[in-house]
Amino acid sequence: MYRLFRKSILGMTAALALAVVAPAHAEPGPVEDLHYGEVLFYFYSEDYFSAIVHLLAADESQRLSRSETESQVLLGGLYLSYGLHDEADRIFHSVLDEAADPGVRDRAWFFLAKIWYQRGYLDEALAALDRIGNELPGEFEQERHMLGAQVLMRAGRYEEALARLQDWDDKSDWSEFARYNIGVALARSGRGDEAQDILGRVGRMRARNDEMLALRDKANLALGYMLLQQEQPGLAKEALQRVRLEGPFSNSALLGVGWADSAEGDFQRALVPWMELRDRSVAEPAVQESLLAIPYAMGKLDAGTQSARHYQFAIDAFSEEMGYLDVAIDRVRNGLLIEDLLAANEDDRRGWFWQLETLPDKREVRYLHHMLANHEFQEALKNYRDLEFLATNLSNWSESISAFEDMLATRREAYAERLPRIEEALDDVDIGAIDAARLQLEGEVARVTDQRDVLGLADGGELRQWQELDAAARRLELLPDSPDVKALRDKQRILAGHLYWQLNHQYPARSWETRKSVRSLNRIVRQAMQRHHRVQAAREAVPQQLAEFEGRIAAISPRIDALRGRLAALLDAEQEHVEMLAVRELSLQQNRLQTYLVQARFALAAIYDRYAEVSP
Amino acid sequence: MSDQSSGMRPANYGIRKMYQALANLIFAVVTVSLLAVAQADSPEQAATDGTVGLDEQVQALKKEVMDLNRDLFILEEELLFPANTQVAVFVSMDVGEFFALDSVQVKVDDKEVANYLYTEHETEALHRGGVHKIFTSNLRSGEHEIVAFFTGVGPHGRDYRRGASVKFEKGIGAKFLELTISDKAAKAQPEFVVREWE
Repeated sequence: MYRLFRKSILGMTAALALAVVAPAHAEPGPVEDLHYGEVLFYFYSEDYFSAIVHLLAADESQRLSRSETESQVLLGGLYLSYGLHDEADRIFHSVLDEAADPGVRDRAWFFLAKIWYQRGYLDEALAALDRIGNELPGEFEQERHMLGAQVLMRAGRYEEALARLQDWDDKSDWSEFARYNIGVALARSGRGDEAQDILGRVGRMRARNDEMLALRDKANLALGYMLLQQEQPGLAKEALQRVRLEGPFSNSALLGVGWADSAEGDFQRALVPWMELRDRSVAEPAVQESLLAIPYAMGKLDAGTQSARHYQFAIDAFSEEMGYLDVAIDRVRNGLLIEDLLAANEDDRRGWFWQLETLPDKREVRYLHHMLANHEFQEALKNYRDLEFLATNLSNWSESISAFEDMLATRREAYAERLPRIEEALDDVDIGAIDAARLQLEGEVARVTDQRDVLGLADGGELRQWQELDAAARRLELLPDSPDVKALRDKQRILAGHLYWQLNHQYPARSWETRKSVRSLNRIVRQAMQRHHRVQAAREAVPQQLAEFEGRIAAISPRIDALRGRLAALLDAEQEHVEMLAVRELSLQQNRLQTYLVQARFALAAIYDRYAEVSP
Repeated sequence: MSDQSSGMRPANYGIRKMYQALANLIFAVVTVSLLAVAQADSPEQAATDGTVGLDEQVQALKKEVMDLNRDLFILEEELLFPANTQVAVFVSMDVGEFFALDSVQVKVDDKEVANYLYTEHETEALHRGGVHKIFTSNLRSGEHEIVAFFTGVGPHGRDYRRGASVKFEKGIGAKFLELTISDKAAKAQPEFVVREWE
């Protein structure tokens, strides 16, 4: 296995786009909104799908305490991250005027400009860029300059793009990428002198990292081949020799150096880089071409026998490669390329920023390096991968829906089983009578405490004693006066007085205890009434809730089925598209090899003919 | 030499033409591929071979699947965790310089209900302000106790395991609890707090 090195500006741009809303929330602090925080958790974990679903659900359930605008800007950023450019565009466009925070508004205009640019709406992109009021945070500011130049360049307004870049006092890598872009664009539009100047500057820059080294190589390669086209082999060679000997562009550079030498008539010198290429992978177009260039140069040097041997070597190598390409095309058509690529890049991250990072060590991949780094292929593979994920997602939901249906059926059965018991229990309890008794008791306690009725708080024994003493007093009143009766009357008074004193003495404590008990009783009865009410409400609501859930499930199931059908069809179409791109690329290489093969055979035949002519 | 050269003329002529063609081809390939790398998405490229049509279909379908997921997500939550019994526990981090989180274990009423091991990506998401819902369930109304154990690396690179607990009253509405990891700057120690939300 080996890594596919492709840290491009596209990649850097994508990584920055992650922060469309991030700067507003980057500072740690206490959580203000749990549900919004949950969305951010998925967002920062690069699980854009879950982040979007959670945000949509929280919004629908009205659980977010953030402002609508802030949520919408986040949603727009998430849609952008997940590759839904149309939705992102729609949202950004609708919230920009409402976004009170200038930072949010500027970032939104910036990302909207990116979308316009990607879609080819260049005037709109420039207009959006012009609406950015303040300097953007971090590298966004550099990217803004770069984007402005790119838009102008694509519109063919090279002078303005150049002017914009020349005015831009930036020492970062972004400006080098911008210069390179303009240099290539000028070269392609036939403005060679200007292109030569700009590409030359990029080609001589002091590179600080791998990306910049690769960019410098690319600039020198582009410049070298442009100069070869312009028949300036000396200058071309200078540029090409600045390309590193080991690197992704070394093969093309070595080939070009050879052509520059041969253009100057120095075939002996041309053989040096070409012979170096001969031992490299024949899957590389530059190596294939060198296999033809070597015998061509040898022919020029009157080394006919060696030339014939090298043509034969080229014929054998091309034939072998064509065989490999046949096998590779078969593997692609059998779906093995997608399988291998996705197996080598298994991770949970999805969305627009995902790209191939690891290539499987398979023969067909050797032929597809250029195409694998190509935007169109990456997008198609990304779509395929996302669709596969969605197919799994819907399949899981389909199973869940069956489980939900079973759950509802179980709940309905349980309800039907419990209902008679519930109804019996409800019928047995007269909650109204209980509450009436409570109210009566509460009133009696109020009366006792209002009147300070100490006897009202006597317990059963004391009340009986009091009643007995009272009855004894009445009976003693009816008896004629005598010393014995008088003694009994005194005794009764003493006992009654003692009892009353006791009750009166204990009254405050008993009053407090009684009122506390009443409060407790009130609470218990209130809870009992609430429960009673809830049970009654549930008895009526449960069938309605079950019916409502059943209705929702019945409505959602066909949506799942319909989407699964469309998804399957689209997955097939996307797979077909990915395979078509790969087969097209492999077929192009086959055609090129076929052309080379014909050239080599023809040249070899010509040499044999020549020998036949000169032989006696 | 001249004979040999003339004998090879057709082949050489072909190769010369091929050289020019290849030089053009390589220049085109190099510049196109480099432009593709150096520039952002190019509509010209994206527009090839009906990719846009397919891409638009994919975008539309993605949107529909996400809307469906939203509805299913709400349905599932309402069905499995009705608001009157729902309890959800979240994990958050405020600064967290003194503690590198590995895992969180949650017990409710002395019963283990969640044990989550965080990836580096997820810990980073917590650091940046994300909140992770670690547990959702149903509880009867009344008093309950939650205990959370945080495992990771504490100050001076030492293994660290601390607990935090709180008794809470589950009422009629949904109950949310937040387990917060923060810094006690004065003691240069992490702090673990359980916060109640209604």
